Amino acid sequence: MIEFQDVTKQYSKDAAALSGVTLSIAKGELIYLAGPSGAGKSTLLKMIAAIERPSSGSVQVNGQDIGKLKPSGLPYLRRNLGLILQQQRLLLDRNVLVNVMLPLVVGGATRADAEKRARAALDKVGLLDKALMMPQSLSGGEQQRASIARAIVNRPQIILADEPTANLDRASAARVLDALKAFHAVGVTCLISTHDEHILDAAGRVIYLDRGRVVDGWHDSATGGAA
Amino acid sequence: MISWIRQHWFAFGHAVRHLARPRSGFLLNVLVVAIALALPFAGLTVLENVRPVSEQLSIEPEISIFLALDTPREKAMALAPRIRRIVQDAQDGGESGDARRGGTRLEFVSREQALDRLKNRSGLADAVVALGSNPLPDAYVLKLSEFSGAADASDPSGIDAIAAQLGALPGVESVQVDSAWVKRLAALLHVLRIALGFLAATLGIVVIAVVFNTIRLQVMNQRDEIEVARLVGATDRFIYRPFYYAGALLGLCAGAVALGAVAAALHPLNDAIAEFARLYASEFRLAPLGLASTAALLGLSAALGLLGALFSVRRHLARLN
Repeated sequence: MIEFQDVTKQYSKDAAALSGVTLSIAKGELIYLAGPSGAGKSTLLKMIAAIERPSSGSVQVNGQDIGKLKPSGLPYLRRNLGLILQQQRLLLDRNVLVNVMLPLVVGGATRADAEKRARAALDKVGLLDKALMMPQSLSGGEQQRASIARAIVNRPQIILADEPTANLDRASAARVLDALKAFHAVGVTCLISTHDEHILDAAGRVIYLDRGRVVDGWHDSATGGAA
Repeated sequence: MISWIRQHWFAFGHAVRHLARPRSGFLLNVLVVAIALALPFAGLTVLENVRPVSEQLSIEPEISIFLALDTPREKAMALAPRIRRIVQDAQDGGESGDARRGGTRLEFVSREQALDRLKNRSGLADAVVALGSNPLPDAYVLKLSEFSGAADASDPSGIDAIAAQLGALPGVESVQVDSAWVKRLAALLHVLRIALGFLAATLGIVVIAVVFNTIRLQVMNQRDEIEVARLVGATDRFIYRPFYYAGALLGLCAGAVALGAVAAALHPLNDAIAEFARLYASEFRLAPLGLASTAALLGLSAALGLLGALFSVRRHLARLN
């Protein structure tokens, strides 16, 4: 489903965000991208969403070569992805429901259908009762769950979560992770990046990145954490 | 098709919501664009009103030959061949060939016919009746359309030469070249039309620039929204569309305000014009533009707004890619 073949991303001559990364992710997998800040986790996720393009090598998502993807093809790639960013990037002048409806509206859904599906997504992350609230009035954890609802409302094949638990307390982080695992349980491929080794568990495969390289592709967090 | 309409309806609603926001500055922008549009709209209104008047006036060179009041009718009628001969001689003095046989027309207007025309045309029937006797002389009207001799229709000095010869005929009291001022008016209107075209083009660019800047600010204000929309799979068309509608709406509203302002300004202006026109026994008034012209100008305003938005969106959203 996702293939990285000797991928390098160079922002400048001296700084490589990714160096010779080769990895393969099958459909329905739960992947933890672990590593310290600056390891290249976000860059890797951005490449899958075609926010960044590889300097060399190839990235394939559902058989599409990201490096060769035309700008006109981007929206259709992203409609199959659920993006959860560290900064939730909710629209602060719209209520939670409208924020969650956005991916459906851009895809051409009717308002009634979009609202119905957005409410269902909010119900799944436990935020239905806050659908009409403005994002600023939600806690950090709730805002992150709202962004998860926005990411899954389109029933994506892949969820990309970039540090979804950063800046959250343990209880909120656990709820966010539970929500993501629930989608993995129904067959959605999930990639979760984190620099917090405490959230890694045996349910998923851990890919450890350090200075842009995969240093431990198969890591069992139950037997000692990321190497 | 339904999806396409839905997307446009969404974009239209989105544009209206953004423009209606208190801090969008929409009303101020409408005012600025309306001021720019009002001037050419006002000029066009005046030209549209003057055009029918100028079209009614003949721009053919025309010479009126007034005979002395005591000239007998037979003697008056006998002047016709001599007048034709003078014109013919003038033509022979110029180019040769068929072009010389222009469409010169000579009409005899008897003093009775002249009095009837005066009564019918000027609304002075009562005053004419009060005169008792007919004060008007017999006359000839010489129309020099397509005249192409030495006294070319566009050559006032040639026409003056003919007029001088006609004035020397026995029984002729006076000769008047009638059409020079009409030609000058037509030339003036032509110049005004060209000037108005330049003015409209210049102010059209101003309108595009104002809308360009307004949309640029909107793009900056909605930067986050645009980026999020892109991340969740919005196409460029989906993102661009509300800005296009915003530009077109801005132009349309400004056009409507400008037309309204011009129409409102006609009332006090018409009072002054009525006074002036009355001196010439005329009922001339400036009327607002017709429905078709109004619709065309509103469409043009919206198109200018759309054009400004188009340039702005292409330039600024491309930078966000």
